[in-house]
Amino acid sequence: MLQFTKFVIIRAALAVMTLVLVSFIVFSLMELVPGDCAERYLAFKNSQGSVISLADIDAERIRLGLDQPYIKRWGLWIINAFQGEFGDSCIQRLNISQLLGQKFWLSLGICLSSLVLAYVIAIPVGIIAATSKNAFLNNSLRLVSYMGLALPNFLLALMIMLFSTIVFHDSLTGLFSKEFRDAAWSYDKAMDFLGHVWLPIFILGWSATAFAIQTVRALMSDEVGKLYVTAAEARGVSGRRLLMRYPARHALSPIINSLGFDLNRIFNELPIVALILTLTEAGSLLIQALARSNDQQLAGAIIFMLTASIVTLNFLTDVVLALTDPRVRRSIVG
Amino acid sequence: MSDMTDTAATVDQKQKEAYFTASQGQLIWQRFKKNKSALIGAWVLIILILSGIFSPFLTPYDPTIAGRNKEYMNGAPQVPIFWDENGFSARPFIYTYERTRSIKTNFRWVTEEKNDLEDRRYVEFFAEGTPYTFLEFNVNLPGKALDFRIPGFEFDTHLFGVDKGMIHIFGTDETGKDIFSRTLTAIKTSMAVGTIGVFIAFVMALAIGGIAGYYGGWIDSALQMITDTVRTIPSIPLFMALAAFIPDTWSAEARFFFISMVLGFIGWPTLARRIRTHLLTERNQEYVLAAQLCGASAKHIIRKHLLPSFTSYIIVDLVISFPYMVLSETALSFIGLGLKDPVNSLGVMLQNVTSADVLLNYQWYFIPVIFFITLVLAFVFVGDGLRDAADPYSDSK
Repeated sequence: MLQFTKFVIIRAALAVMTLVLVSFIVFSLMELVPGDCAERYLAFKNSQGSVISLADIDAERIRLGLDQPYIKRWGLWIINAFQGEFGDSCIQRLNISQLLGQKFWLSLGICLSSLVLAYVIAIPVGIIAATSKNAFLNNSLRLVSYMGLALPNFLLALMIMLFSTIVFHDSLTGLFSKEFRDAAWSYDKAMDFLGHVWLPIFILGWSATAFAIQTVRALMSDEVGKLYVTAAEARGVSGRRLLMRYPARHALSPIINSLGFDLNRIFNELPIVALILTLTEAGSLLIQALARSNDQQLAGAIIFMLTASIVTLNFLTDVVLALTDPRVRRSIVG
Repeated sequence: MSDMTDTAATVDQKQKEAYFTASQGQLIWQRFKKNKSALIGAWVLIILILSGIFSPFLTPYDPTIAGRNKEYMNGAPQVPIFWDENGFSARPFIYTYERTRSIKTNFRWVTEEKNDLEDRRYVEFFAEGTPYTFLEFNVNLPGKALDFRIPGFEFDTHLFGVDKGMIHIFGTDETGKDIFSRTLTAIKTSMAVGTIGVFIAFVMALAIGGIAGYYGGWIDSALQMITDTVRTIPSIPLFMALAAFIPDTWSAEARFFFISMVLGFIGWPTLARRIRTHLLTERNQEYVLAAQLCGASAKHIIRKHLLPSFTSYIIVDLVISFPYMVLSETALSFIGLGLKDPVNSLGVMLQNVTSADVLLNYQWYFIPVIFFITLVLAFVFVGDGLRDAADPYSDSK
């Protein structure tokens, strides 16, 4: 138990260190964007008709603390970031945590659901593919997983929209129907939401599933051929019991280990799918922040939060693995 | 009799010798040849790459706005036929289209097909058309000093064309640009972006992974920490942040190089990790120890023993990472943050297909998608085949 506690503490410290490094990279990149927050806001005001002088820009810089040295501002940013506070957005002048709030959790929920969907499909299918001798089944599964790689999610989303526009005359976009868009959460709204949200979950889960099937299949076929499986078979264990008790348990830990990178891959697809399906969550907010208005404060906050959720997931999966596998515990603690 | 067994034995001996003395690359190639789907993928890939390289010759028109057909905008694909109710023709032909606007059409532009005998347009091979050049390089980087130009060879023969007017076998887009010409050019662009991206990623990965793998120790740990951190940051959102740097005033070529560079910078961590692992495992092999005991210098060992032992694996890794570069570029151009007109890529071509109008009426906008799925699939098949072939244990499975 002591060993486990030690493992969790060291692993948590590593996770925090990673986040600090991430924050440094993200913060530096946001600093490199030509122009700073003060200029951007006043340029925006200028376009609204107010007259702006150089002195105004300097005053705004001092108000925002942009005259402070780089390291100090980074330090402030990271300390606030760990408390979930990212300051105000450059252009909209709204508090970023409020602006993101529900949207971020909604998109994280969608991504995690598609991750769950991917593995709910991939684990049984991958195990069957690795153990079955049926050539037709194997080949068609291979084809499906290749399609998952070759048909990127945004093309799949386009195809589904093309199909549903022609067949149902409804392009299946958005997360809510019109009448619920600004309504408070209720049973009806939740039902409406569930009626819409399956599509992004499915589309995001599509290539994740294909990847996952390949991983599960490769790991399982590695394990099935090993001697301990033959030995168990010789002792009279057979069928599903054999698969679940011996090779599947071994194949599981690398899968749990790679969950964080799967989430990363889904985050990569999120903004583009969100744009096509015109979802109003963090993904498309990111596009707005970057492409439309160059809002570096908002963009930095979103990238940091996305990375933070990946790091958290990595931490959690490592803790779960350490609980079940003593070798993992020993790997860090020694 | 004894003579025959003798020759059989020599043949066997020779085969064994060939096997044991074969280089890593020869072994991989032998295993790769056995994999049918990978071989088919390789052929498809070669055809696509060649059609990309020779796209100016294979396509009838200029893919940019210069090659537009004002008479045939949003036009459906024109399939050459051999006969109609007016009779048979040995030469394939298409019909003339005319845009008209009159009281009959409620004063809206309508494209009318004229299928009389005299309105046939016959398909010509090796037709003369707009001039194009091969091996011409026009590098126009930000800053005057970096610009240079290599004039190439000029031609004006195209594989096919029609005797009157224009032919669009994949239809045209909203400004009248030929989709077939654009598709083949887009393949070329995507391959070029992918190549530059992979190259930059490879150089960075070789430097960082190489240092980490060769020195080991705390340098390795520190570099690993950085690599892993970069790997956790979702690359497309980060790329979007970087792409927002690009000022609107940059030329299309400058954007093109910038995008390829950024793709390379994003792609290096995975490759670096692989190179490090290769180096770490190879470094502790017995043949390296043997060379060291013989008194070989570090330089000699790296050049003569370590590098040849994993170059083939690195090539495999590069092929595998290629389609992801192409896909990232496509996705980014699609949302308007990557390449822009007049540079053509699939993403650029798909930029405006989400509107219901296109989805319902102009489905031929999706023809290039088939080409790109084929391209990526071919890469995936070849990459998978190469990976299996490079795995020394794949035979025993």
